[in-house]
Amino acid sequence: MLDLSSTSAIAVALAAALTMTVGSIAAADEAKYPNWKGQWIPVNAPGVGGQRVAFDPAKPEGDGQQAPLTPEYQKILKDSVADQANGGLGNDPTAQCYAAGMPRMMTYEAQEYVVTPDATYILLGGDDNLRRILTDGRAWPAKLNPTYQGYSIGHWVDEDGDGTYDVLEAETRGPFKGPRAYDPTGLPLHFDNESTFKERFFIDKADPNLLHDVITVFDHALTRPWTVDKTFRRNLDPQPDWPERYCHVTNNRIVLDKEPYRLNEEGILMPTRKDQPPPDLRFFTQSPK
Amino acid sequence: MLDRSSTVALASALMTTMTTTMMMMMTIGGAQAADDGKYPINWKGQWTRVVHREVEVQGAFDQTKPWGVGQEAPLTPEYQKVHRDSMADQKNGGLGNYPTARCLPSGMPRMMTFGFHEYVITPETTYILLSGSDHLRRIFTDGRDWPKNPQPTYGGYSIGKWIDEDGDGRYDVLEAETRHFKGPRAFDASGLPLHSDNQSVFKERFFIDKTKADIIHVLTTVIDHALTRPWTSDRQYRRVAEQVEQWPETWCQEGNANIVIGKENYFLRADGLLMPAKKNQAPPDLRYFKQTQK
Repeated sequence: MLDLSSTSAIAVALAAALTMTVGSIAAADEAKYPNWKGQWIPVNAPGVGGQRVAFDPAKPEGDGQQAPLTPEYQKILKDSVADQANGGLGNDPTAQCYAAGMPRMMTYEAQEYVVTPDATYILLGGDDNLRRILTDGRAWPAKLNPTYQGYSIGHWVDEDGDGTYDVLEAETRGPFKGPRAYDPTGLPLHFDNESTFKERFFIDKADPNLLHDVITVFDHALTRPWTVDKTFRRNLDPQPDWPERYCHVTNNRIVLDKEPYRLNEEGILMPTRKDQPPPDLRFFTQSPK
Repeated sequence: MLDRSSTVALASALMTTMTTTMMMMMTIGGAQAADDGKYPINWKGQWTRVVHREVEVQGAFDQTKPWGVGQEAPLTPEYQKVHRDSMADQKNGGLGNYPTARCLPSGMPRMMTFGFHEYVITPETTYILLSGSDHLRRIFTDGRDWPKNPQPTYGGYSIGKWIDEDGDGRYDVLEAETRHFKGPRAFDASGLPLHSDNQSVFKERFFIDKTKADIIHVLTTVIDHALTRPWTSDRQYRRVAEQVEQWPETWCQEGNANIVIGKENYFLRADGLLMPAKKNQAPPDLRYFKQTQK
């Protein structure tokens, strides 16, 4: 028969056990999301593409990317590169300070990942300055406004079963705005703006300061899905400078009547190719200098 | 086997245990909630500037007054003239002292005027995501000192601290100071100027209205050499929605018709042809072109 002291002992033991469980749950809750704090810098394979950052960072930009483009879009890339060789902007809308959008926005120089249960924010430091990957369990909205970056829904996965999430899986859908290009050569996405992106974000198993973003692009300009592993190296400075890049502050390219021109340091209009005609000034009553 | 009295005693003890456990759980839960709740949880959602409909022209620093001269900014005589000249130039088709008209960033404080804002609060940093052409703001709350040589930016460098002003165990006020700027910047589209030395300092107090949970105040004091004294405005923002289906994406370049060549601004027609912005405006200098124009 149990006496009262035994009963009390059981009660205390039960309370302790329950408390430990509650404590464990609380601790587990706190540790559920990974520590991706800090500034992440895109890793570009050395010697493959100068200062520019390509979609596949292991290969040179443009043709060197070996993107599985359809013949129609191979021609668009060829024409873009030829136009740029002749002083034009080609198929590179970002040259006029239009948005890069997805996926080029993921090449920007200094990224920050702010992880909350409802959303993971990727802060980018360029004119495309922010992505929200919504992880609150929502369904795809029935109607969305087109954007350059698309609409991203993600979920966290505890792949190694250690009680902490280690992989963020995200899908980004349109309707997109465009045109968008993968890189400054004008490597095109389809003008129908119906791309879909699937991404897996995770820290490298062997290197806690290396973040992977494995991106697969589904796009009608491609003959098959195109997957690349973009990596980002953590800046170990605990208080890094966060760059502020505004395209219009440094942009010297303008387009008048579909013709690209440059402004020199004094702001005077310059041709971008040999024997380029000057802009049409029919609306001016005075004659130019 | 348990007899009746033992069963009652055990039941009673278990009840006590459960009660104790529940209380402990509540305490743990409470402690957990206090930890989680140390930072305000009611700043979530989408916020936009409160519009005072009685004010004729919107988009000013002080929302309760019209922009431009109507702001009654305490400008020095020199900067009153800068402002007057700006408005005269605008009247004549120019852009005046308003860099944002050609898609340059607004910077502080105008970046806090437009778009839909989101506050993302972490112990180290409060992020203000702006959804406009200006980028986000980071207010560092990790106890750091001012950096020695930060790169000047349009948004400035912000350090803040959280305060539990009403002593309820939860922070309710974020105090922030912002320095180290780039320019030019203007308070509003009339070209109401900040000093060209870019040495402005902003002190802000962010807090939720005590009686209206969907109003956030950003009490902003500007200390600037273009002003004869610090200028304070209680800038208010209304919560539009707590759950946001889609955040807008704003690009100044889309639809911007202003184009500056040399020191003159012109208009770009929808078909891409250049138009004068002023009566009898001289066309751009074409000295580098060999061909004659069309």
